[in-house]
Amino acid sequence: MMLKLLANRERRFNLMVTAGLFLLSLVFILPLYWTAVFATRTLSEVFQFPPPLWFGNSLLDNYSRIEQVFPPFRPIINSLLVAVPKTIGLVLVSALAGYGFARYVRAPGRGFLLAATFATLFFPPSLALIPFFLQMGWIGWLNTFWPLIVPAVASGFGVIWMYTYIGSAVPRELYEAAEMDGAKGFATFFLVVIPIIRPGLAALAVWTLIGTWNEFQLPLVVLGDGTKFTVPLALTTLSTTHYSDTPAVMLSTLMGLVPVFILFALLSREFIAGLTSGAVKS
Amino acid sequence: MASTSTWAGLRKNRAFYASIAPFFLVFLAFSIFPVAFSFYLGLSDWDGFSDPSFVGLANYTRALGDPVFQKAIWNTIYLWFWSTLFTVGLALALAVLINEYVLGGRTYFRLVFLLPLLVAPAIAAIILRVFFTSNGGLVNMLVGAVQGQPSYFNWIASETWIKPLVVLLVVWRWTGWHMVIFLAGLQSIPRDIYEAARMEGVSRWAIFSRITLPLLMPSIAFSIVMATLGGLQMFDEPYVLTQGQGGTNDSTTTLGMYLYATAFMQFDFGLGAAVSWYLFAAVVGFTLLSRVVNRRLGIS
Repeated sequence: MMLKLLANRERRFNLMVTAGLFLLSLVFILPLYWTAVFATRTLSEVFQFPPPLWFGNSLLDNYSRIEQVFPPFRPIINSLLVAVPKTIGLVLVSALAGYGFARYVRAPGRGFLLAATFATLFFPPSLALIPFFLQMGWIGWLNTFWPLIVPAVASGFGVIWMYTYIGSAVPRELYEAAEMDGAKGFATFFLVVIPIIRPGLAALAVWTLIGTWNEFQLPLVVLGDGTKFTVPLALTTLSTTHYSDTPAVMLSTLMGLVPVFILFALLSREFIAGLTSGAVKS
Repeated sequence: MASTSTWAGLRKNRAFYASIAPFFLVFLAFSIFPVAFSFYLGLSDWDGFSDPSFVGLANYTRALGDPVFQKAIWNTIYLWFWSTLFTVGLALALAVLINEYVLGGRTYFRLVFLLPLLVAPAIAAIILRVFFTSNGGLVNMLVGAVQGQPSYFNWIASETWIKPLVVLLVVWRWTGWHMVIFLAGLQSIPRDIYEAARMEGVSRWAIFSRITLPLLMPSIAFSIVMATLGGLQMFDEPYVLTQGQGGTNDSTTTLGMYLYATAFMQFDFGLGAAVSWYLFAAVVGFTLLSRVVNRRLGIS
């Protein structure tokens, strides 16, 4: 088998490429692997040379040290309290607007409004950062989760993504059939369109959840109280104040990564669909 | 009469306006209003407490005269250029090799390069900092082993090394994303073109440069635009890596960090707003430029 592979010049090249890419892929996941290894080692083991390559048994000990500094699950709960409502809201609002744009093609002003939605994709978020912070101060939303949830529900990307998806997944005849059957108000949307576009909703939801989980600048600006910190903020603070305790920093980092990796393991197909959607529309 | 018919048109299409209303109302309240207010802020001097005063374009000229701002411009260009070049280049090479030459395990490769994207930039920066720390960091251990004597080099505080480290971070996180974009683009190229070329005995390099590259141009253009929109606004990576300080002598202060520091550490909201408009101008300028270039090249 091996000899046969090596006999052909092209095969030999392909084998080398595969081996090379495999090595490179290991380099890409090495930092994550080492994070996990360090999280299970003692401080002195981490500083040894050569560094440990396999897991140790100090996980619980490291965990108890984190617990003395802060409740390690609080940032995870905070992140969930932000990410879940925001994702549900964003997906619903986007699907509804996408449906409007896809179905009512002859409504006056539709072309302009659709173009305006497209244009929002090129708005740098930093442009609104300062006035947004001041606005949240006036409303009294600073140091709450509201600024991270309510305004984020209006996503130009989400609308365009749902508009494109509905346009290609829902045949026009379906709207007419629903109308003939006497579907009133948004019955068509909820009973006919939503079930069809479930894969599109899932892709947008996964993409939004992970994006929100990783967000740093906006929570940094609006959240002042450490007990409200989301995962990236809490970890940044911990890594600054306890930087010398490498195993504890790595363990808490690992804990912040686990929810996202579980989500990815379950829904990688939807995640990839969500990320290639950008390329499709351009 | 015209207004009556407009009104009738609105009424007849009220289902349309009702469906897009939630999006536009929230967007109006929390994006359009702040952006409009940002325009006013940029022309005022305000610390958030006393009354704002109108100063015209003073903030804009003040920013240009600030050496830290000038440095931030160059840092941003440096980080944007090198991270885009390496990310897009590496992703392109990976995608072509995986698509054409890999013997097996395509699904593995596709997924494994994407994993870093799941790691928040802030968390990736923490991991990188642990590896590059001066005392007991992995990299110093390796350097020490090679030299034969322990190394305590402070990579993060080094003016020379901090920028390549930020680039490394961006490349590590984003290569997989660009790779998937390119893989999707490659899938849309008809297989028989390749088979015909191979039958004719065209070399691998010629196949890549004459067939793959030109047909992949739309994906490459998209990928460069996305990398640039992100690169111009880079904040999380340099912020966490340098603990919010921007590195020794502002060696990695980006425009995004400069904006944050002026507004939220020095409470100079007017200056910060002016900087955000400079950033906006850069984004719009680049978008228009990429359109012109794309049209010249006949991409879209």
